Amino acid sequence: MEFFEFYRKDRWPHQFCPGCGLGTIMNGLYKAFNDLKMDINKTVFVSGIGCTGRVPGYINADSVHTTHGRPIAFATGIKLARPDLNVVVISGDGDLFAIGGNHIIHAARRNIDIKVIAVNNATYGLTGGQLAPTTPHNMVTTTSPYGNKEHPFALAELVAAAGANYVARWTTAHPNQLVNSIKTALTIPGFTFVEVVSQCPVNFGRRNKMSDPVYHLRWIKEHSIPLSKVTFDLKSPFDFMDINFKGIYTVGEFVKRDRPPYGKSIEYENNVLRPPKE
Amino acid sequence: MLTPGRYFISGNIAVAEAALLAGCRFYSGYPITPSSEIMEHMAARMEKEGGVFIQTEDEISAIAAAIGAGMTGTKAMTATSGPGFSLMQENIGYAAMTETPVVIVDVMRGGPSTGQVTIVAQGDVMQARFGSHGDYENIVLAANSVQELVDLTIKAFNLSVIFRNPVILLSDAELARMIEKVEIPKNIEVYDFNQIKIPDVPEFKPLGNGHKLAITGLTHDERGYPITTDVNVHRRLVTRLVNKIKNNESMISDVEIINPDAKNIIVSYGISSRAAYPILKKRKDVGLFRPRTLWPFPESKAKDVFEDKNIITVEMNLRGYDLEVERVARKYGSKNFKHLKLIGGEVPTPKHILDALEVN
Amino acid sequence: MYPTINTDYCKGCNLCVEVCPKSVFILGKNLTHRGYYSPIVEYKEKCTNFKLNKGDKILCEICWLTCPEHAIEFV
Repeated sequence: MEFFEFYRKDRWPHQFCPGCGLGTIMNGLYKAFNDLKMDINKTVFVSGIGCTGRVPGYINADSVHTTHGRPIAFATGIKLARPDLNVVVISGDGDLFAIGGNHIIHAARRNIDIKVIAVNNATYGLTGGQLAPTTPHNMVTTTSPYGNKEHPFALAELVAAAGANYVARWTTAHPNQLVNSIKTALTIPGFTFVEVVSQCPVNFGRRNKMSDPVYHLRWIKEHSIPLSKVTFDLKSPFDFMDINFKGIYTVGEFVKRDRPPYGKSIEYENNVLRPPKE
Repeated sequence: MLTPGRYFISGNIAVAEAALLAGCRFYSGYPITPSSEIMEHMAARMEKEGGVFIQTEDEISAIAAAIGAGMTGTKAMTATSGPGFSLMQENIGYAAMTETPVVIVDVMRGGPSTGQVTIVAQGDVMQARFGSHGDYENIVLAANSVQELVDLTIKAFNLSVIFRNPVILLSDAELARMIEKVEIPKNIEVYDFNQIKIPDVPEFKPLGNGHKLAITGLTHDERGYPITTDVNVHRRLVTRLVNKIKNNESMISDVEIINPDAKNIIVSYGISSRAAYPILKKRKDVGLFRPRTLWPFPESKAKDVFEDKNIITVEMNLRGYDLEVERVARKYGSKNFKHLKLIGGEVPTPKHILDALEVN
Repeated sequence: MYPTINTDYCKGCNLCVEVCPKSVFILGKNLTHRGYYSPIVEYKEKCTNFKLNKGDKILCEICWLTCPEHAIEFV
């Protein structure tokens, strides 16, 4: 499949800022779908509001651009009504975890068979760079001009604790590992989740002395540490919860389970009602 | 599914069974008194009919899942009451903007806020029309008996599929629990997607069939690509969304009219209208105009009935249908209005209406 | 095989200069027709695809994967 068979040529070039991590993620998404030879006519892309939410509009397949925070809820309805379709949710950190926080933890708990790619740029980019639940402590945004007094969420750990089948976190500075994780996420049944830490040079980097995309990407790469090099201990002092260990993003595959996905409650077998086989 | 015949069932069960008869194969909901029985009945029956049932974590995800299912070409429904209906408004506007069929049942109870949980009221009438922000139109139906809940549920699914719009069915806490005789006829008229062509309503294309749909809540052009800064694109889209309902009002409207030539006309709907029937039997100078479709206002049926009459509106709310009734009736020359507004759970009785008639 | 930059799409973010492990790109000094300072492919012989030459098979595509504008093409 050519690049412009996967993406709509009549909408190119896209509207994202120079140096935006979303462009990298779009390349990775194309490579993952192409390598797996997935049929995009049997895939539905669902997104919410935000810069990341505009990505499915560029894909040459069924795309549903929903209200703020609710792509997971819409995706649940689409998947349950048409279980033969592949449903992929691509949305941002504020959209999925702030206003939509309730929906994602329940979808992970139920293990609904949807694939979620969450792009974490530590801010609300499209609306101008406001504070988000993923903004690191002490960083400056338009609604925290004196430094963020809150501490950020650990998104991947949250979803892993809720019961997802596959959870991974990578950054745009790790494009090859990211593509492999997306491929794994697309093939494993159940609720799979890939978080991508991405640079937002114009609305986040610029307010924190990182307006050059090169410096922002360098900052992300320097603040990433492979999962194998850390031990996560809930009994550690509070410092350890600051973006997973003293201001550092842990990258890697967190969890790979094979819980059965959300299915029917009853099944007919030879016209006899019985609970479904486990 | 209920086979044709006579049954003795409650309002909530009737709504659930009628939805299955109309082809509904997706139900998502959240428990709220007094609509929970609809969901409980669907939990037991939906999968036996080959459909999908899910109880979601809140009303917002309930309506979102129903709309998502609607986009795939599955008839979907959700039921709620006042507080949940307020939560659903954003996504109801989204369903109107993306022209997705979905049916929402609002079993009205005392409000505002948590209000009177188990007590009947009719306070959501204006919200059903104007609940979401921006310019759009809803079709709103109101039933006054358990038999009518069956008929109007089936009609709600038909209208939602024909007009590609959300349709709201108003029930209330009394009808929900009332047990009455119901007849399921042999031939039920059920319409499928794209069966009836209406100008201004584009052809429905479901997700997952290779149509490469671009669905968005942003203002979009005919391809579905978001274009928010062009005046004409927005005007074309939103005017069409409003006109497809307004211009077809005579096709949608369904009103029960008794004694249209009488000098005094009672205008009522839902459970309040049941108080009118005993009066109509005895007094020939009193008539009834009872809309089964509250919105769009059935003006095509009102013209002759409202010409220079004394109008009495009976409803169980403080802000309601009386504003629109008075506006339309004044256009046709009526000058005397009496608005009976009973709140708190006191269902109107014939005596309330007779007292109002004496004062005139 | 080595990379080229399509100046119809390039927006001069310079991420390719940063991520290439073999330093094939350098910062540009001239404005393109779109008004950006696009990087230049200066050391194409250092590119892994060029040195190890496996014909059409792409061995390293970090620049292509990273470029947000899909402006890199392998020739």
